[in-house]
Amino acid sequence: MSTPAERLACLRDVRLFTAFAETDLAALGQRLRERTLRKNQVLFREGDPGDEMFLICHGAVLVSKVVKGKVEQLLNRIGPGEFFGEMSLLDGSPRSGTIQAETDTMLLVLDRKSLNQLIEVSPHAAAAFFYAMVHVFIERLRKSDVRLTEATRWGLEATGLDVESR
Amino acid sequence: MTERPAKLELLVRRDDESFEVREIGSSLGFIQSRPRRIADGAFEVSEVKSRVAGERSFILKNRETERFLLLSEHEKFLWEQMDGTTSLQEIATAYVLTYGEFDFDVIPNLIRKLQRAQLLTLTPRSRLRQVLARNRRQSVVQVVEKTLTGLERITVSSRSVGPFFQRLHRWGGFLLFTRAAAVACLALAVVGGVAAVALWRAFDDVFSGFGGHAVRGVLLVKLLFFGSVALHQLVHALACVHHGRRVREFGFTFLHGFVPTFYVDVTDIFMANRRARVVTAVSGPLVHLVLGAGWFLVAASAPVGSFTQAFAAASGLIQWQALALSLYPFCFIEMDGYHVFVDVLGVPSLKHDALAYAKALLTGRARLQPKRLETLWLGYVVLSTLSIAAFIVFNVWLVVTAIS
Repeated sequence: MSTPAERLACLRDVRLFTAFAETDLAALGQRLRERTLRKNQVLFREGDPGDEMFLICHGAVLVSKVVKGKVEQLLNRIGPGEFFGEMSLLDGSPRSGTIQAETDTMLLVLDRKSLNQLIEVSPHAAAAFFYAMVHVFIERLRKSDVRLTEATRWGLEATGLDVESR
Repeated sequence: MTERPAKLELLVRRDDESFEVREIGSSLGFIQSRPRRIADGAFEVSEVKSRVAGERSFILKNRETERFLLLSEHEKFLWEQMDGTTSLQEIATAYVLTYGEFDFDVIPNLIRKLQRAQLLTLTPRSRLRQVLARNRRQSVVQVVEKTLTGLERITVSSRSVGPFFQRLHRWGGFLLFTRAAAVACLALAVVGGVAAVALWRAFDDVFSGFGGHAVRGVLLVKLLFFGSVALHQLVHALACVHHGRRVREFGFTFLHGFVPTFYVDVTDIFMANRRARVVTAVSGPLVHLVLGAGWFLVAASAPVGSFTQAFAAASGLIQWQALALSLYPFCFIEMDGYHVFVDVLGVPSLKHDALAYAKALLTGRARLQPKRLETLWLGYVVLSTLSIAAFIVFNVWLVVTAIS
């Protein structure tokens, strides 16, 4: 279990909260739950229901999506100061990928109730939170485009398909 | 600027909580792909003789699209290998064995040409898989498919075994490839052979040692034999290292989805000379010669009619049977002896060509011709068919005799 000071230090490292005042951050810190994962432990699987997002204090998790049987495509490695699970928190849809701890990991959990409280109590902080989130989304979208291109290139190279002269 | 090959990061789960992250390069995907030409009736090939250099070239026609392609003799050879079961890596190996050279661009260039002419297709890799895929609606077929897929996944292998085998070779493995080892092997074979003949004369007494536990005894013999298959592969690997080439992989898998076996990838030896290739191929089976001789000596010195004698004799028999099977080239299975045989004759696609010729004869698409190559193909098919029949009869007789 971490101390309030450790939690605060963890939140300060998360990009979503860089524009937060210390008081807002401390208030938010009190509302978050703590969750630990041991190495290789699965937090949730693709398709599971969920309405929480997670902030990584230390450790790292792998984000993957099933390709076939026991084979999954590794989409991302997420480390300290980063977050995941926000899509289900915002739209309530099932989890879009599987999260598994790559090392022993400590997380802080932000649920819908805590998010609503943040919006009601500190609208300015909430606006900063969503603004930062949009930035991260854009970054991830760009990375996703690169990954898609890379996968397409892989397919073309592995099959020797000559598209240019078709 | 040359673009680096694309890579995929895949997470492969195991049955427990653990997993493995594998980085798969597109080049690996390419060399393991198994191009398949379109169905036999959908294309035709005709030879064009050159009036200048005497080089042969061929016209390949797609009957459906009416597209034509000019192939060199080398390209036609590659085209004939593209049967959907042979990987590009294996095709490249066959190419080297046939022509003694390899141009790394020849295969991708040909594949591009064939794709443009729509002469390649994608279908499941084995006939059994094709039949299963066609009947996937039946629940029994689904279970069989799932079982086969499950078994195929049970592959324990390592691609970083090179340094291990190099150490093993340095720490004494090299002794196996000395004159002294060859003489010892020969001496053991002679002594073991004498013991085997003596045991054969008292066959009934020897196998009476199993008593009422014949089935258990035979199963135990088979299980123990399975361990020697790993040793067989290990010696192949040492031979490969001994000739300065690299061992690429060692592992355990279910061949065709249901035959458990150990395997070693020593394809790097194809870059060495013929002597090295033959030594590497033959050294594995010699493990069975040595083990078999050892078992026969144990059986000969055990009390007559004892379980030990029966067990040792049966083990010796199965080891020498494995030796014969490994070195015998005529059995439709590409064992070590087959590789030596085709290497010496310089006909790397013998099995493939022989089966295609036999099929053409049976369907009336070809006629018997007293030419050398056709005679070799026919001889291969006939001998292999007879050999497999004899092998089955011998084993049935052996098991029945041991049990009764």
